[in-house]
Parts: sequence; C-alpha cells; structure tokens
Amino acid sequence: MGTHKQILLANVRKPNQNKLETYEAGGGYKVIRKALGMDPAAITAEVKTSGLRGRGGAGFPAGVKWGFIPKGNTKPVYLVNNADESEPGTFKDRLLLENDPHLVIEGMLITAYAVGAQWSCIYIRGEYSYPFSRIQDAVAECYKKGYLGKNIFGSNFSHDMVVHRGAGAYICGEETALLNSLEGKKGQPRLKPPFFPAAIGLYNCPTIVNNTETLAAVPWILENGGKAYASIGTEKSTGTKLISASGHINKPGVYEIELGYPLLQFIEEECGGVWKGRKLKGVIPGGSSMPVLRADECANVKIDYESLVAAGSHLGSGGFMVMDETTDMVEAARNVAHFYAHESCGQCTPCREGGHWIEKIFQRVSLGKGMPGDVELVESICSQVAGHTICAFGEALSWPAQAFVRKFPEEFKARIEEALVGINKKRESLNFDSAGSH
Amino acid sequence: MTVELLNVTVDGTKVQVPKGTNLIDAAKLAGVEVPFYCYHPHLSVAGNCRMCQVEVKGRPKLEIGCNTTVAEGMEILTQKSSPKVKDAQAATLEFILINHPLDCTVCDQAGHCKLQDYHYEYNARPSRFVEDKVNKVKAEPLGPTVMLDGERCIMCTRCIRFCDEITKTSELGMVNRGDHSMIAIREGRPLDNPLSGTVVDLCPVGALTHREWRFNTRIWFSELKDSICPGCSTGCNVKVAVRDNKIVQVKARLNAEVNKEWLCDEGRYGFDRYLPEERLTAPLLNRKEVGWDEATKSVATQIKGQETLVFLAPNLLTEEYWVIKSFLDREVKNYKAVIAYRERKLSEVEAVLISPDYAANFRGAQHVGLVSDKPEQDYVDALARVKADGAKVVLFVGEGAVLKQDLSSDFVAAVAKSSFSAAFITDATSTLAQCASAILPARSCLEKSGIMINRAKRAQFSEALVKFPDGTQPEWRAFNMMAGALGKKIVDGLTDRELTLSYLKSDQSMAHLKISNVRGSGISLNGSSTSSAHEVRA
Repeated sequence: MGTHKQILLANVRKPNQNKLETYEAGGGYKVIRKALGMDPAAITAEVKTSGLRGRGGAGFPAGVKWGFIPKGNTKPVYLVNNADESEPGTFKDRLLLENDPHLVIEGMLITAYAVGAQWSCIYIRGEYSYPFSRIQDAVAECYKKGYLGKNIFGSNFSHDMVVHRGAGAYICGEETALLNSLEGKKGQPRLKPPFFPAAIGLYNCPTIVNNTETLAAVPWILENGGKAYASIGTEKSTGTKLISASGHINKPGVYEIELGYPLLQFIEEECGGVWKGRKLKGVIPGGSSMPVLRADECANVKIDYESLVAAGSHLGSGGFMVMDETTDMVEAARNVAHFYAHESCGQCTPCREGGHWIEKIFQRVSLGKGMPGDVELVESICSQVAGHTICAFGEALSWPAQAFVRKFPEEFKARIEEALVGINKKRESLNFDSAGSH
Repeated sequence: MTVELLNVTVDGTKVQVPKGTNLIDAAKLAGVEVPFYCYHPHLSVAGNCRMCQVEVKGRPKLEIGCNTTVAEGMEILTQKSSPKVKDAQAATLEFILINHPLDCTVCDQAGHCKLQDYHYEYNARPSRFVEDKVNKVKAEPLGPTVMLDGERCIMCTRCIRFCDEITKTSELGMVNRGDHSMIAIREGRPLDNPLSGTVVDLCPVGALTHREWRFNTRIWFSELKDSICPGCSTGCNVKVAVRDNKIVQVKARLNAEVNKEWLCDEGRYGFDRYLPEERLTAPLLNRKEVGWDEATKSVATQIKGQETLVFLAPNLLTEEYWVIKSFLDREVKNYKAVIAYRERKLSEVEAVLISPDYAANFRGAQHVGLVSDKPEQDYVDALARVKADGAKVVLFVGEGAVLKQDLSSDFVAAVAKSSFSAAFITDATSTLAQCASAILPARSCLEKSGIMINRAKRAQFSEALVKFPDGTQPEWRAFNMMAGALGKKIVDGLTDRELTLSYLKSDQSMAHLKISNVRGSGISLNGSSTSSAHEVRA
C-alpha cells in the first residue's frame, strides 16, 4: 500500500472532529489567524505557487481564478463553496462536510480574506441532509465563538457565512446554474461569455466559486507553503486528491492519494482489488460524466489530470467507478444515459433533445429491440451535442455514451444481433413471407 | 456621435460593421442570413436555440451569432462556407423536430413557420428518430387571448422574456426539465396583460396561437398587407391577413423606431370595430335617399360662407385633412375644426406601447394646419359650444368624429336643432345618423390608403385592407365633389394613390418624398433622420 500524504483526511476519523473544540485542539483556526496578518495578495500568490487545481471537475488553477476579480472593483465580492457534489460516483465532499466541517470553514475564511469577500455561501446539495446538519452546526458554533461575524479573530475583517441547500438538480453544480439557483431563479447555466463568475457572478458581482475539496486544501497550503504542496504529486498535477472509489472492489470508500499514483496499483492496494476474484473490465475514473477506460487502457495510467487525458478520459471529480468482467456495458450505458437525460436542464436544444434520444436508443438496445445503425446513430448524436451547448453538460452527457459504444462496440452489436435473430424467428413463426398467405 | 467601425469578413466578403454588432447582424450587413429562433433584437439574448451557430476563424468551437460581437479582423464563416456550421444547423433542426408533433397539416403556423422554412433550407432530410415522442399539453389556455400547444414549443423562451422584460408582468415561466420542459403559467395567474397577444407574434412556431383566430384560415389563402394600426397615435406597424374581404389575423410588424415588434390586444383584436355591421350605402338628405352629386352639391351650397363647426374623426388620412382644409379655406372661410381627442390614464403596462388617446392621426390634422396643438381643449370647447348655443352649421367628418362617450342626449338634441348638419359616417346605427340633416356614407379607415403621422411625428403608410361597400365614398372624394360643385376640384384624380401624389406635391415639407419612402418603416418628420438604423427581420 502506498503511503500518501494525508492533507484533507488526516483528521476525519477522529472522534468529535466536527466539533469546534476538537478541531481547535488539533491545531485548527491557527492558519486563519496567520492569514489575517498577511497581505491578501500574498495568500493568492501562495495558492498560485501551490498549483492547486479545482477539485470539482474542471481542474482550473484555483489561485489563477482568484486573480480574475477585476482590478479596481467597487462591488461586493462573494465566495461560494460549491458543495453540490452531484456527479454520480462522487462522495468526497460529503466526508469533509460531515466529519471535518471546520477545516472547510477555515479554508473558506482564508479564501474569503484573500479575495476580499465579506459574505460567503456553502451551496450544498439538497439530498445531503446529514452533511447539511453537520456543516450548519459548525457554522453556528463559529458564530457563537465569534469566528464568523464582525471583526473575526480581532482583525478588521468581517465575514458572514450562509449554508444554502439546493433543491436536487445535477446542473446546479455547474457554477453559473448554481448562482442562478442562489438568486432564486431556475437552476439553468448562464450564457458564456462572461466566462468567469469572478468578473460577473452572483447578482452581477465578482464571485469566486470553489469546490469544497479545493477550499479544504487552502489551510494546509498556507501553513506549509505553496512549494511544499507543489512538491507533492506531479509537476502539473500537484498535491493530493480525494478519490471516491466505488463499484466492484473489495474496499470502497474515499481515499486521499498523491496525484500521479498508478491507477491499477490504486485498485489493487487501496481498493483491495476487484471483488470476488474477478477480472477488471473497465474504470470510470472521474465521475460518470467522464469516458470509461477499458481494462487494457488502464495499464500504466496514472491518476492525475494529464495522464488521464492522455489515456482518453479525465480526472474529473475523482468519482472512481470500477466495473468487473461480468458488467453489462449496454446496461451501464443505459443507466448513465438515463441519469443525464433526466438531469438536462432543458435550456438549449442539443442537450434537451439529444440526451433523451440517446437514452431511448440505449433503452431499446438493452430491451432487445436494437437495430443495425444504432451504435453509429449514438456516436453521431453525441458529436452533435458535445461542443454545441451553453454549458459543459453537453459533454457530460455525450462523452460517456460515446465512450461506451466506442470501447465496447461488440457488446452493443451482439445485443442488436440478438434482437434481429429474435425478429427473424418471430417472422418465420408468423409465416409472413409465404406467398398468398393473406 | 460616431460609432467605431470594425473590419470583418463574412464568408470572405469584407464588410465594415459598427462596434458591438452581433454576428447575426454583421452577416446580414454582408448579405448573408444566419437563421435563428430564440434571438430577438429587442429582447435579451438567451442563446438557447443554437440555430445561429457560426464559425469564427481561430476559435475551437462554433459560436452563437446572437451572443458574439464582432472584433477587428474577425473572419466569420456561416453555413454558406463552413461545412461545420452547416452540419450543426442541420443537427439542431433534427433535434428540435424529434419531439415536435409534425402536425403542420392542422397547424395555424404552417406557411409562416420558421420550423418549416428552416427545415427546407438548412436540413431537408428525413429524421433518424424512431422512438416515442414526448407528449405534452395540446390546447392549454394561458389566458383570455392565447392558447398553448406544448408539443409544438421549441423552448426559445421569447414569450417568457417578453413578459419578464417588456411588460414586466412575468406571467410565463418554464416548468420541468430536459425534453419535458414546458411553458406554463402559475395557477390563478393567467397571461392577461394589455400586450398579451404579442407573445403569439414572437413565437417562431405554432406553439402559441390567438384564441380569437385559431383554425381560422390557412395563411396562404389570405393576402398579407403591411399597414398601420389605427387604434391610437403610436402608429404600430402591423401585418394584416385578409381573406374573402375579412380580416383573419393581425400581426405586429417589426419597426425598431415605433413598436419594436409589440402590439396591444386592444389594437390587434379591435380591427373589426372600424367595420360596422350595418353600413350606410346611399346619401340621405333629410332622410330621403339621393345621388352623390345631388348630396354633395346640396351640402356644399348650404355651408358655403356659413359660420361652421367641423368635428373631425382622428383616423382620416393626412391627405384627407389637407383636402378638407383646402375646401374649408376656399369656400367656408369662417370655420373652426376640432378633432375627437381625449387623453386617458394608462396603466404601467399599457404605457409601454399605447398612447393615451384613440386618435391615430391627430398629428396629420395638425401637420396640415387644420387643428391646433391643443386638440383636447378645442374638442371639449366645441362640444360645449354645440350644447350651449346650438352652432348654426355643424359638420361631422368621418366615423368617430365625436367620441361615443360624448354623444349625450342633450348634444344630439342640440345638433338636431342646428340650422344645418352633415355627417360623413359609415355606421347606419350610429346616433349621428339619426340627427344630422345630411348623411353621406363614408369609408372606414381600413378601406383607404394613405399617410398617417404618429405621435412621434413619423409619417407611415396605412394600407387599404378590405374592399369598401358600393355606394360609399371616401371623405376626401366627398369634399372634392363639394369643391367641384362650387367651382374647381381640389384633386384631379379618383384613386387614393393620385390623392397621395397630389398631396405630396402640395406640401413643402413632403415634396421630396415618394410613396415608397413612407412605406416600410416610415419616415420621421422631425428632421433628424433615424431611418438609417438597420433592422433585422425577427
């Protein structure tokens, strides 16, 4: 088993770690005190040095994002913690929010100070009722202790924090849809440009939207320095990443690994190998919106942003789903397609119509009613959706579908073949073809 | 103020376009039509239909034309030169149609539907979709005026944006997600505002229809005429469908300077009020039918040189006001002309578009110098004068020369007592038809063509929409005959066109104009010409 630096999960298993008292006894809320004595720009610079990239899925450098707030801005700046965690197969933020909520809050406070935000919000998915109560309690504790509110930690910096529950939409994890939802509008992504909420965000004010995991890494970076963080992982994928491992493995769970760790080794050592002694068939490495990798494509692949792109997939949110040799890929594809069809916000044409179309085709194929040409049709629909939509959901729905039919074509073709045999048998039994029968 | 011009190329054609222009308009300036559904020049950009995708050299993805503005040196490739764009547009159309019911055979929009037009132009291939379509509501009233067919809707959200941004009444919204999305109202809050019918015009497909006109006619059996709404002095541009001499639909016509592409319900659904059911078809002198020559001669001789009070309908043509004035100046001399003009209080939504009067062309009467710039005061004073001393000679020119609310019994009695009164009207049942000594069957404002000048002093062309009944004469011709009876006609010619030509020649401020200048989006008489603003067909 590899020994991985534990930056985020170091304390999650400590009893009562969710309590402010325990968190503080373990050295918590020390870094924010240090930060408040620093120049905000120096904090941003430190995070830039660390190379910390957005852990929500897009992998955009966090420090660079913070720097997008317009110079000479006079509007209020907002910070939003994106805890919508709606990507299937991803459950890492939940662990932090439940078991180490003060780490998240401290990360947010440092970030807020660095970007000059006096108000922040934790947008947590509606289904997370237990994590919601834990983070809500933690925020309340902070207010009680004066760690939130006016002049925190005796500084000139004041900060208010709100926990906001989503209403159950995948798309509200997309940052501009999240902002619309926060404003009380329908959770639909905004048009780009403007590309970054850092310029025009919540109520048209500069807004920094960061993933929970990203924010939770900030205290460590400031405490130990950006260089220390950058020394972990690979050159371009620095630091550690939480991987939510699930599927056909012996030990599912959240693991913190140093980026650049070999994928197969991760399955073998951390996840306890594929269950029931079966062989590996495929892995979805970054949440269900990312292309699946065949077992043979996994050899020599490392878990980091660049290696996974080179292998034809993405690190995404780190939702790591393992499928063993018995997995029915047609069924898997149908399942994923169903999710994305259901979650399309309905705003723009290709995604609204294409998502359900793909689902209906997979459904037909899986029910033994497939037709020759279905595989090619799915490919074609996917290419017409991806890149033609308002937000990245177009890619989220077409990449997995495209990957399933591309990488396991024989399974789809076999199912379609079976359907044809069935039709022909029925045809024979009904004696359609004999002349003069009607 | 000069706008910076940027050099761009569209499919290789070099054009200069003002900074801030979007790519749809830039392409239009280069003579290329980029198709779109959700974009509207006077609404916010939604960018959801994905029909206006174009390629911008050097950018990895296709851009939507509506939300992308030009930059210096930009090379824009449309469907004419980019296979990528062509494919994307064909794909978008395929997507839009997979859940569309394809019920063109019974759809009111068929024939003027952007789905049909674009499909033939940019896709024209059979769909590959063999699954079950999504079912939605088919005939859901959204309010008193508009009906929704959910299945035909393509979710462009123009109607929602109109209610959010223009009327600010926000009755409409989108419910559900994905391909189950639907336009809907909240329970108990129907789409019921003074401009509600406009959403039907904005709907690029057959999802929204007028409850008044559903299943009325196939549009290709009707004649489409560009005209002006005679409802008030805003002078909204309209496109009117006429079949068998009946108005079967009224649509707003885009005019950035006047009504954008909006129209109020009162105007739109109110065209029939200018066409009374019972028409006067023969002149009457003291209740006896006479010929036109006799009638006009009699009226002319009785009013010549008399002190005369003239009530004018507010929706006569500007040319008619000119003929009337010429006659009165020459033959009557001692007269006072007033126009039926009263202002009312408008609600906030009404004020978006509607003018506070029902006087479509009071500016026209002012322009030729027939009435003063205090029309309401003059009108009220004239009413009082009739009632007080029973003016000796009174003329009522045009239906509506006195507003219905002012036709009180004492007013009518006073008119009956006057020594002579003549009414040029259309409605056989009107109160004036009972009390005036001479009745001359006139024409409705929908039965003649000419110039109307709106509140903002824009001259626009009002087109004859329906054919007049036999036995009637337009007011200008009646006055022309009267002038002829007393000596010399004012206009040589019998048609509205000849009238307009003579008028344009006679009016210093109009002499440089041709009829074609006034057609289309009209021309401002304020001096500063704004007609150069390029417009986009929506």
